[in-house]
Amino acid sequence: MNKPEFYISAASTISHLPTFKNVGFSSVIGPLEANSVLITPDYKGYIEAGLLRRMSKILRMSVACANDCLEQAGVEQPDAIVVGTGLGCLQDTEKFLNTSQTIEGLLPPTAFIQSTHNTMAGQVSLTIGNHGYNMTHTQNTLSFEHAMLDAMMLLQEGDSHILVGAADEYIEILTEIMAQLAPGQDGPMTSGSSFFVLSKERNEQALAVVKDVATIGLVEDVQQNVGDFMADNALTIEDLDLILYAGKDNFPGNAVDYLALSGIYSTASAFALHYAVDVFQTDKKISNVLICNSLRKSNLGLMLVRAVEA
Amino acid sequence: MGSLKEDLKRQIIEQLNLEEVSVEDIADDALLFNDEGLGLDSIDALELIVLLEKYHGIQLTNPEEGKEAFRSIDTMAEYIRKRKAD
Repeated sequence: MNKPEFYISAASTISHLPTFKNVGFSSVIGPLEANSVLITPDYKGYIEAGLLRRMSKILRMSVACANDCLEQAGVEQPDAIVVGTGLGCLQDTEKFLNTSQTIEGLLPPTAFIQSTHNTMAGQVSLTIGNHGYNMTHTQNTLSFEHAMLDAMMLLQEGDSHILVGAADEYIEILTEIMAQLAPGQDGPMTSGSSFFVLSKERNEQALAVVKDVATIGLVEDVQQNVGDFMADNALTIEDLDLILYAGKDNFPGNAVDYLALSGIYSTASAFALHYAVDVFQTDKKISNVLICNSLRKSNLGLMLVRAVEA
Repeated sequence: MGSLKEDLKRQIIEQLNLEEVSVEDIADDALLFNDEGLGLDSIDALELIVLLEKYHGIQLTNPEEGKEAFRSIDTMAEYIRKRKAD
């Protein structure tokens, strides 16, 4: 039986590179420079001032990307909102913990309320008044892949359009504990947010086709698992026009280390998915792309996407 | 009383992160929880309770008192003055 395919109808990313509202960014961006900073739009164009004032970095990024995506796709209300985040709202968590140590008596509630991992998905739904399924997946470096799998299952069950995304934010302490968070990686730790509208049917806005997503735990041989995943999709690694990989793996052919572009954060594979979507718009020779997320060696996330025209 | 009201306005702007509001923008009698005033909401009400304790050492435990005290800068200043006199 053929696996069902799904369509990406919109994509939006805020990162340390000029990715937001910049179709074709994949052909102009280069590796991150040291001391790069997050490139943010004027959030007032995407978020009501009353809400914006109490939003931290990760919330601003997420809500702006989500709203941009819905506008691109022409979807007013998605059937569901699914978000993946590895470490959640760190800025508010840190703020709340700091005040709890320094202030006696009552603690300011906003940072506490907004410190939970599901604040992004919640704020997106509040912003657009959405009452549908609202879910946050936190599975370390595979959080975004799990959100994608959830969204794909919902589409199989009858939903039409799902807003699916990922976000993680940098705070200073992450540099100190990087060896534990991303063993063996040595790039800069960054913040980033990517959102997509995933649709069941092909429409005029279709930018890419999601063929398959898989997560594998306790991985010992990445290449072996990639081979098995490709075989499961009746393809071989030679059929791929581009492989987007995380860090240190060695792949034959046209392969790009996406962590050099996104920097390191738990859900950087969502950046890679937008990069693949963008490549399809700018390079018509690229048809099949594999995103191989081995940011943590024992956790492997695989996403196979193809161009709409292929 | 004048300086207490000015202080309150500054404290509210800081505590609630009202980025685009200045002390001059807040009238003493403007309704804090009305869209024609500052347009604050329920989370802001909790922040105001924290503000009262943090800057003025006043614990507000009766919700009915809060409803009246947080109407405007005038009523907040009056509430603080009254509690400190007790």
